[in-house]
Amino acid sequence: MKKQLLALSLFLSATASFGSGYQLNLQGLRELAMGGTGTAMQWDVSTIFYNPAGLSRINDIQVYGSILAVAPNTAFSNATSIGTSTSSSYNTVSQTFTPFNFYIGGQVASHSKLALGLGIYTPFGTGVQWDANWIGKYMVQEVKLSTVFIQPTISYRVSEFFSVGGGFIFATGTMDYRQALPFNFENGSNVSASNTQTAEAHLHGQGTGVGFNLGTQFKFSDRLYIGLTYRSQVNMDLNGGSATFQVPPTVASYFPTTGFDSQLPLPQVASLGIAVKPDAEKRLTLQLDFNYTGWSSFDSLRFNFFTNTQYLQNEHYPRMYRNTLTSRLGGNYKISRVVSVMAGAAYDPTPVTNGYVSPDLPDADRILLTCGVSVKPARKITLIAALESTNGLKRNGMYTYGNFSGTYQTNALTTGIGAYYNF
Amino acid sequence: MMKKVYLIGALAIGFAACKPSVNVSPTPTSGSVDFTSYLAVGNSLTAGYADGSLYVTGQLNSYPERLFEQFSQVSQHGAQGPFVQPLLTSDQGYPSAKLVLARTYVSCMPWDSSLGAVSFPGWIANAADAAPYVSSGPNGQINNIGVPGIRMVDYPVEGYASNIYGTGQYNPYAARFYNNTASTPLQELYFRVHNLHPTFFTFWLGANDVLGYALAGGQGDGSGTTSPILINYYNTSDISNFTAFEKAYDTALKVAISTGATGGALINIPDVAKLPYFNTIPANGLTVTRTGQLDSLKAAWPGSRYSFAMGSNYFLIKDHAGSTRQAVQGELILLSVPQDSILCAGWGSAKPIPNQYVITTDELQYIENAISTFNSFIQNEALVYNLAYVDMNSFMNSVSTGFAYSGIDYSTQFVSGGAFSLDGIHLTPRGYALVADQIITSINSKYGSTVHQVDANQFNGILYP
Repeated sequence: MKKQLLALSLFLSATASFGSGYQLNLQGLRELAMGGTGTAMQWDVSTIFYNPAGLSRINDIQVYGSILAVAPNTAFSNATSIGTSTSSSYNTVSQTFTPFNFYIGGQVASHSKLALGLGIYTPFGTGVQWDANWIGKYMVQEVKLSTVFIQPTISYRVSEFFSVGGGFIFATGTMDYRQALPFNFENGSNVSASNTQTAEAHLHGQGTGVGFNLGTQFKFSDRLYIGLTYRSQVNMDLNGGSATFQVPPTVASYFPTTGFDSQLPLPQVASLGIAVKPDAEKRLTLQLDFNYTGWSSFDSLRFNFFTNTQYLQNEHYPRMYRNTLTSRLGGNYKISRVVSVMAGAAYDPTPVTNGYVSPDLPDADRILLTCGVSVKPARKITLIAALESTNGLKRNGMYTYGNFSGTYQTNALTTGIGAYYNF
Repeated sequence: MMKKVYLIGALAIGFAACKPSVNVSPTPTSGSVDFTSYLAVGNSLTAGYADGSLYVTGQLNSYPERLFEQFSQVSQHGAQGPFVQPLLTSDQGYPSAKLVLARTYVSCMPWDSSLGAVSFPGWIANAADAAPYVSSGPNGQINNIGVPGIRMVDYPVEGYASNIYGTGQYNPYAARFYNNTASTPLQELYFRVHNLHPTFFTFWLGANDVLGYALAGGQGDGSGTTSPILINYYNTSDISNFTAFEKAYDTALKVAISTGATGGALINIPDVAKLPYFNTIPANGLTVTRTGQLDSLKAAWPGSRYSFAMGSNYFLIKDHAGSTRQAVQGELILLSVPQDSILCAGWGSAKPIPNQYVITTDELQYIENAISTFNSFIQNEALVYNLAYVDMNSFMNSVSTGFAYSGIDYSTQFVSGGAFSLDGIHLTPRGYALVADQIITSINSKYGSTVHQVDANQFNGILYP
């Protein structure tokens, strides 16, 4: 009982986390706690995300649910060098996001080579909200992206050595973007030096996309596993989004409520994972993963409005992301049949290149430290808690497009709790 | 085993405690100067004039106010308050109404309304504004002695604030706060300097020595060699006499540093011809859309000197010598040209636009020549007196070619350009904040100080009703 309480305290003391770009790597708690590794061998039914080939190696039908609390915080100062700064520094408004994962699946019959499953998870997302009157308000005030992937999955264990798996991805997501517009409201004959209310644009879009997730697993022995996966790019088409504007009445005709089209690429990821159990008792499992993410497909963020006016032109924010290679290392130590502890670390380089560091996604290279604990209070049930500290490196960056520069740092702490049940 | 689990709990608390902070701004320092008491000397740009008038909000958003705020953040040798500006009491404009944005129409086309600048409706003269200003600051100090309309060559003119060229003829802005309205602006400067003992000053004069000529459509001689029209008073519609300018500048500067200022910034003259006031109505704004129009134009103005085609055509103008011709590329039409005369009375098509609304190529040459002469002199003065030189001319040029700053695109587009107020000459609060940033950059580079920049995005652009 004490252990469960402790797991709860882990959750409550937490604030937040994100992977680089707008990718979240939070699809399984044990994998998260092990530095985000999980390609080589299956731990539970969350392998539907990490490697669909592992599903056919799960002996029972498993139901898995987890929820995470992510509350990132970014600090900004527009100091780039001595004497060219304002005195102010800014922090994003504290927010907590709650991505979740749900999986169900396993072998269709006991000891069958075929397994089926379904995963519902949130692989991409971001949320940044700055103070309404911060220095970069004309760049962005708030951006929110959330996606849900639904992935029916099939897996086949060709032999004890080799298994394959694949899933079809149906993605759905929403995006919100708020930005101040340089039109100040006249509020009577006020005598003041301060800023009056500024106009604001709010873009809301939702869309869908499709893709797939493929994996293979090689079990060389009880102590050595290798996995390879490929998750395709999903193009999220945000067609027919709505753009609303809060502008002074005299310019309202230039800002009609209109629709817009946009597209957001959710990039392809190829992963290689190795798992080894060095000790004879196989208490310790070490995993090493590499993820190669095809961020270069995100070359720009475009908003094409259905109605254009003198002041309302299509927006085209260049991004020019680059591909990244993330390295992850994690371990799981089985203390007893009831309790295991996990720890891990990862180096997650940013896809954002210099000149494109924008305050809507102020990204930098990140160092991730993770830990977790799993407890098996009863034979069929397992509880897991995980914790991830995301430590973004301080980055001096510029977004050339709007001539906006400064120093950013993002930290986040993510906690997650979850449970799975074997039928 | 339990110990290990508790260890994780402790780790969690450790993780949760960290919150990013990037307050990497160095503490502002004064370098080799002392900002303790700051005096701003200048004209309308220094006074905070905007939207065609002077009003309290404009004054509170003047660049000297912004500079004072930044100087006062400097911990050692930072500016000490109060920073006294000769504030008006009303916000409607003095001595006449400010411009505001409203739906407006040209009188001959009342059906075709558009967003434009109009005089503040319901403006009434405010007696308190017209009354002499009395500083509430210690010793009656005033820190911003910017006077709208003042030229460098006005500095030695007696009775500038009472009777320049006859009883009741005077600069109303100077008259409000001058310690002795009978004295010259130079004597007023002397009084203020000896009253305040500024340790630091900014000095931005000279724009009106060219602007008057430009606003008059180049009516004067333009050569910079003319004689005074009355004692030592020069024609306001002409370019100032270069020698008189330079003498007045040097004399005033000597006065400004006479009580031992540790430093100062000389701000040069922007290219007035690039202001929205001179670039909103294009010289080729004569638009021909129908062949009938084209035929009647060709019939009215026969000969090889004229060329008309469908689309954009250069307006017909009266040039400097008084002869009628078509404008050529690069010539400027003033914003003051009556719109209804252009649209409905055939100005520029059936009859030429009068010369007072046009800056022709030769007049433009005079303007550019004067500005470059004055700016070379100012730059040299900065060298001689070891002061910071602020190249505002280059900065304003960058506005006219367009630039982005912290997410806002600036241009000299009238109304929507962002930096210029509704008069097309003076700045918005945001524009003045950008000016303050430029001055700070020069000061920091000259004196090794680290005064922080202004966050210009905190301030208003044009207000939209």
